[in-house]
Amino acid sequence: MQKVGIVGYYQVKLYSDANYGRYEMIFEAVRGALDKAGLKKKDITTVISCTNDYYDGRTISNAFAVESGGAYLADESKVEMDGAHALLYGMMRILSGNHKLAVIWAGSMASCFPYHSTRLFETDPTWERPTAYVNDISALGFQMRAYMEKYGVNAEEIAEIAVKNRKNASKNPLALKEAQNPNLTVEDVLNSEIYADPVRELMVAQPCDGIAALLLAPEKQALKITDKPVWITGVGYNQEAYYLGDRNLAESKSMELASKMAYKTAEIKDPLKEIDVAEIFESAAHEELILKEALGLTDKGKGPSLNSEINGEFPINPSGGAIGGNPPCGTGLIRIIEATKQIRGEANGYQVKDVNKAIASGQIGMCAQNNIIYILEGGN
Amino acid sequence: MTEKIVVANKGLIKADFAFWVGRYMDKLFDAFENKKIVGNKCPKCGDVFVPPRKICGKCNVTIPFDQNWVNLPNTGILKNYTITYYKINDRTSRKVKKPQIIGMVQIDGSNTSIIYRLLDMEPEEVKVGMKLKIIWEEKPKGDPSDIKGFVKF
Amino acid sequence: MGRQVCIASAGFSEHASKRSDVSMPELVSEAIEDCLKKVPSMSINDIDAFVNGNMPAFEGVNIPELWMTDWMGARNKPLMRITTGGTTGGSVAIGGYYTVAAELPGIDTILAIGFEQQSQGDTSTGLASVAYGEISVLNSLGITYDQLTQLLSAGAAIGVASYQATNYMRRSKITEEDLARVVVQNRHNAAKTWWAHLKMPDLTIADVLETPYISYPLRYGMVCPASDGACAMLFTTEQKAKDLCDIPVYVNGVGSVANETGVLGYNGSGAGQLDTSEQLGAMKSAELAFGQAGISFPRKEIDYAEVYSPFPNQELMWIERLGLFEENTASEMYETGVTALNGELPINCSGGVNSTNAIGASAMERPAVAALQIMGKASNQVPKTVHTAIGHGWGGVINLITMMVMSDKPTRKIN
Repeated sequence: MQKVGIVGYYQVKLYSDANYGRYEMIFEAVRGALDKAGLKKKDITTVISCTNDYYDGRTISNAFAVESGGAYLADESKVEMDGAHALLYGMMRILSGNHKLAVIWAGSMASCFPYHSTRLFETDPTWERPTAYVNDISALGFQMRAYMEKYGVNAEEIAEIAVKNRKNASKNPLALKEAQNPNLTVEDVLNSEIYADPVRELMVAQPCDGIAALLLAPEKQALKITDKPVWITGVGYNQEAYYLGDRNLAESKSMELASKMAYKTAEIKDPLKEIDVAEIFESAAHEELILKEALGLTDKGKGPSLNSEINGEFPINPSGGAIGGNPPCGTGLIRIIEATKQIRGEANGYQVKDVNKAIASGQIGMCAQNNIIYILEGGN
Repeated sequence: MTEKIVVANKGLIKADFAFWVGRYMDKLFDAFENKKIVGNKCPKCGDVFVPPRKICGKCNVTIPFDQNWVNLPNTGILKNYTITYYKINDRTSRKVKKPQIIGMVQIDGSNTSIIYRLLDMEPEEVKVGMKLKIIWEEKPKGDPSDIKGFVKF
Repeated sequence: MGRQVCIASAGFSEHASKRSDVSMPELVSEAIEDCLKKVPSMSINDIDAFVNGNMPAFEGVNIPELWMTDWMGARNKPLMRITTGGTTGGSVAIGGYYTVAAELPGIDTILAIGFEQQSQGDTSTGLASVAYGEISVLNSLGITYDQLTQLLSAGAAIGVASYQATNYMRRSKITEEDLARVVVQNRHNAAKTWWAHLKMPDLTIADVLETPYISYPLRYGMVCPASDGACAMLFTTEQKAKDLCDIPVYVNGVGSVANETGVLGYNGSGAGQLDTSEQLGAMKSAELAFGQAGISFPRKEIDYAEVYSPFPNQELMWIERLGLFEENTASEMYETGVTALNGELPINCSGGVNSTNAIGASAMERPAVAALQIMGKASNQVPKTVHTAIGHGWGGVINLITMMVMSDKPTRKIN
């Protein structure tokens, strides 16, 4: 696979209820990314957005955002999954040879819609939805219990992930204020409100408002635009079965298959040794462990044994991860941006030492039914 | 940018949907009306599906509509469960006083799980692997809510 | 970078106003079966990745590609979802093209799927919700919601189409009879297309003109139906396509240039467009796609076209704006049979969107039919040999466009 370069990025500060509107936010992100990279609107050849009609309360949610997203008279399209999937489509457009600069923007404003109710619309309307026993909260409950029962991981070990991510978020100026908890303890997490036993409120990534944008270019152009390009050297994406009853929720089959695809392309044989940091989209603390194991970083059920603090053996989510703020549709793209920052040495306050290769992932669907993972690399 | 919020108009935009369930699910809902469960069996791998499906996802083969139906008992095994403190519908989500135990139950003879409430038991009594049986609604209507829940068997 | 991409097959489900015999996933599986039936040397297990899309507001199901995983044969496979409103089908087809062109390791053969089961919801509500978020600003001006819904009959798809029609009529001087003629040609063509919805082999211009107006100049008899249906296309490499079919269809140019501008906008910016029949984005998309395909004189070099016209005035507008005919001559082409089945440049021999409109599928059905015409496998196959064809899609509020230029020979430069 030819290298594709990330040449710029911008993420707005996450708020649980931002005091400005959708179009201003989109403009801030896309214009911000272009300005930081020293590029102009007319350099843009293609724009891929990622929004969700149900979250935005608008059919064709990209239609009115064409102007603010920089897509006026540009070749534009929209992926309706996670921002990390929109990046995939942008990457495909670059790899085809048809385009020289792709703008990817993604996100939504969770303050404008009832998040958990809206997630119900994903469920099978002929079977699960009339009873609504399957929703994003109960699904997490099933997933956490399945993981704990199968591997004997206890709630404290899972709560430690929540503590870590919220502590990390407190060092990330762009993270959600409510998620910035530098002095949180495991006990605090285990005493927080129960969502769906055994999942507690402080373990869950809270939906919020936010938009992020990222710029991609082919190798030749990337080297001209910036002296710190970050290369995408591998990508993998995969979707597993839909019904929760069809799946083994204690592991993530789709992340296993996606990571195999990415590792093969990027020629990664031993991710634990070769990768320096991972920014993965975890919708709850236990999911970070499940995904970590699916990435092959540890054996199944042994996730807690790998220290993933910023100065630990294998740092995961130094930015706070999705627990640091989850703007629906934007979270995956923000993980890519955070991994990019780590490679460029721009993660002020939560920088991991000597990062050359990183993993970044996004997901969509109940219990991460569809995962996408990128291998990013620095160097010219 | 102003801090004042002026509510000029408040209203609900109604959008009704009615879903075609397809012939396979139809057969299941017909069985529900008689307080019975049916599944169908993949001709290749032998997995039995509740609810019945046109396609086996593992094998990617079509299960013909006129064949491979399996009558199943009203009993099953608990594979997983959670206890939810929130009730969610298509408009709001709110905390409820009495938490609900939701279980993933594999009907005996099938290879998939269905998700319903566990009734008449306390959270401490719930154990993965326990035997359960269906409690039907008094007057089933031929839709998913006909299964009121599962109780100890 | 990149490589040649070919279309090896395309398939359809039966379209009808109510496909009450199937659930949405089952409807999709029908189109996939029809697509794979034409390439018996491969099976669903040989598909490396999927691209899926529809317009989710119509069925009340968000991201339904998750639910229908097994019905598409996509379990444990890579899958991407693209939705862009009315152009969704075309965007998904373009997504299918890019997935192959990107040359990701192991991703060579793609199934692109577009679908809609509109009978499950309310089409007007689904269309109107494009603008609810924007027109709510009118509430703050004192216009109540009830009054807004009345405006919808002058807005939404029918409204935009009426503005396009009156603007187009002003510059081209066509008559309502010209509009009816386009409808009649489409409905006659649909009668010979097995999967189409409104099959009307005996429809006359007089029949159409007798129906009442919805919004001048568009009459009930002129507008597209709301259909349930699905479409699937198989994209793959040049090598594999040659193994799968006799005439692989090369995708030589794609474009989806948007010139959507905020009609009302968050701050009432009112950047809107005065002439909705100008379609700058369509002209740019055509320029881009034709440029990639190395086509300089579309009128001479294109043998067949499927353009996206739920309303007859749009068919006339598109074939001019896309460069197939001179300005203001389109209606003449219908009168003199140039665009008929056995004409010089046949248009919409499937009956077009005017006869079948399952919104998530319809913009895919245009390149799908165009590809089948090149292969010689279309339901209503034109008698002449089709070498180069285009499939076009339209949607958004006023101007989201998709264009795909295809041919039986590769003309796109790969460097």
